[in-house]
Amino acid sequence: MPYILQTSQLTKKIRNKELVSDVDIHISKGEIYGFLGPNGAGKTTVMKMITNLWKPDRGSIEIFGEMLTPHSYEILKRMGSIIELPVFYDHMTGRENLTLHCEYMGYYNVSSVKDALQMLGLDAAADQPVRSYSLGMKERLGIARAVICKPEILILDEPTNGLDPVGMKQIRELLKTLCSEYGITIMISSHILSEIESIADMVGIIDHGRMMREVRMRDIEEINLNYMELAVLDERKAAYVLTEKLGLANFKIIDSGRFRIYDRSVSSGQLSKALALNDVEVVAIGKKTETLEDYFLKMTGEAK
Amino acid sequence: MMLKLIKLEWKKNNIAKYIRNVVILAAVLCLFLFALCYLGIADSPDTGIPDAAPGNDMISSSIELFTSMAFLVFTGVMLSGFIVSSYNNKTMNLMFLYPIKRQKVLVSQMLAVWIFNFTALVATKLLIYGCVLLGSQFMVSSFPLDYNMAEPGFYVQLLVRSIVTVTMGFIALFIGMAMKSSKATIVASFLLILLTQANMGDLTFRDNAVIPVILTVVSLVFAFLSVREAETKDLN
Repeated sequence: MPYILQTSQLTKKIRNKELVSDVDIHISKGEIYGFLGPNGAGKTTVMKMITNLWKPDRGSIEIFGEMLTPHSYEILKRMGSIIELPVFYDHMTGRENLTLHCEYMGYYNVSSVKDALQMLGLDAAADQPVRSYSLGMKERLGIARAVICKPEILILDEPTNGLDPVGMKQIRELLKTLCSEYGITIMISSHILSEIESIADMVGIIDHGRMMREVRMRDIEEINLNYMELAVLDERKAAYVLTEKLGLANFKIIDSGRFRIYDRSVSSGQLSKALALNDVEVVAIGKKTETLEDYFLKMTGEAK
Repeated sequence: MMLKLIKLEWKKNNIAKYIRNVVILAAVLCLFLFALCYLGIADSPDTGIPDAAPGNDMISSSIELFTSMAFLVFTGVMLSGFIVSSYNNKTMNLMFLYPIKRQKVLVSQMLAVWIFNFTALVATKLLIYGCVLLGSQFMVSSFPLDYNMAEPGFYVQLLVRSIVTVTMGFIALFIGMAMKSSKATIVASFLLILLTQANMGDLTFRDNAVIPVILTVVSLVFAFLSVREAETKDLN
């Protein structure tokens, strides 16, 4: 599948310290890519390189099928972004800031400024100077600025910082709409999983500057999150029953006598019956759900 | 394209504020120099003749000295406001996310300041020379009027000197950018005044044809150095 944005072995050093190392990212067109990692994991560094603010020491970035070089200016026309906190010309009003942005982007559409202000619920404050805005309003104005020129890809670095839960939800819904209705590809970073799990199609997990894994949300939900936990006295015999009698393959032994069964073809009733028939003493059996949060913690835990 | 970028720079940096300030500056300079000529503020109380450093006993040298000093600092202030502080408050990050060559962005900012100050300096000098000349119709100046506003040579000199003064601001800009400090930009422009306008015994940097040329070349080299690495250098 061709990717709209792809990085290969992306590495950035500052004063001989590697901030990110060999990061490979694959983002398909039209999806929302959640870029997840704790604070200081290197999310902003990667996004700064993607938006060409920083140049990589090693590795490459390919956007819209083109290699990003220090002279890739045309690519920036097709990209909207918020990197760190959005900055504005504080003495100008929200409306003036957006108009100025359109001028620099070479985008002329009379109604776009009005539409963007409306979409982010900023009409009332549009003609006040930005210096009077709250952090949440600035964040929303930043998003308005990122989407105003109808970009093909949005690079959003923790865009919901400073928003209250209602505001966060609004933004999530807006991003979903932008993705589904306009086909905009979105890369959004966060250190809070719950913020992106409901909207992301794909999640890339980064920790200590290294990419831990890229997973499709659907796959995590299906494969990893639901399992049965089984504790028995005779581990060898139980394994035999699971494979030979029940025909299960997708399970693992986590420590002596404790099994995790991911296969969904068997119910706990069937399982205990089969074990009892074969004289395997069951200590405990139960259904478990691993939350995505656990999964995320596990991923970042492995890095340490 | 460049013209549009320059206009946008003026717009977003609130040029109206600078226009107001430059008008005040011009008025103060004009009043001061007029007073120097006709109200005898430089006259020594003992002798009744004006105190002046050697080489400063003609009115044009005073006009050039004070306007250059004032505008070199004003240029430094504006360069720090337009460029150095936009690195510090991160609006430069925003500029560098636009599909415009970074060198072009920087050059447009430098030109926006240069054009403004050059125009203002020329206008201020013309105003002062004009006022002093007008005053001479009614009063006697403490300093001899050594210029002729009917001669084309007068205007050529005025333009050339203004170019040299304003261009020197780029040296201050380079220093300010290297130190990432608005204050350093302004302090550097003060130091440039000391270096270029001061009399050092018999050695004066003014009134020497070679010095302005060298200064302008040096300034342009610094201007070039300021934009050279923009394409590849990381922003903070």
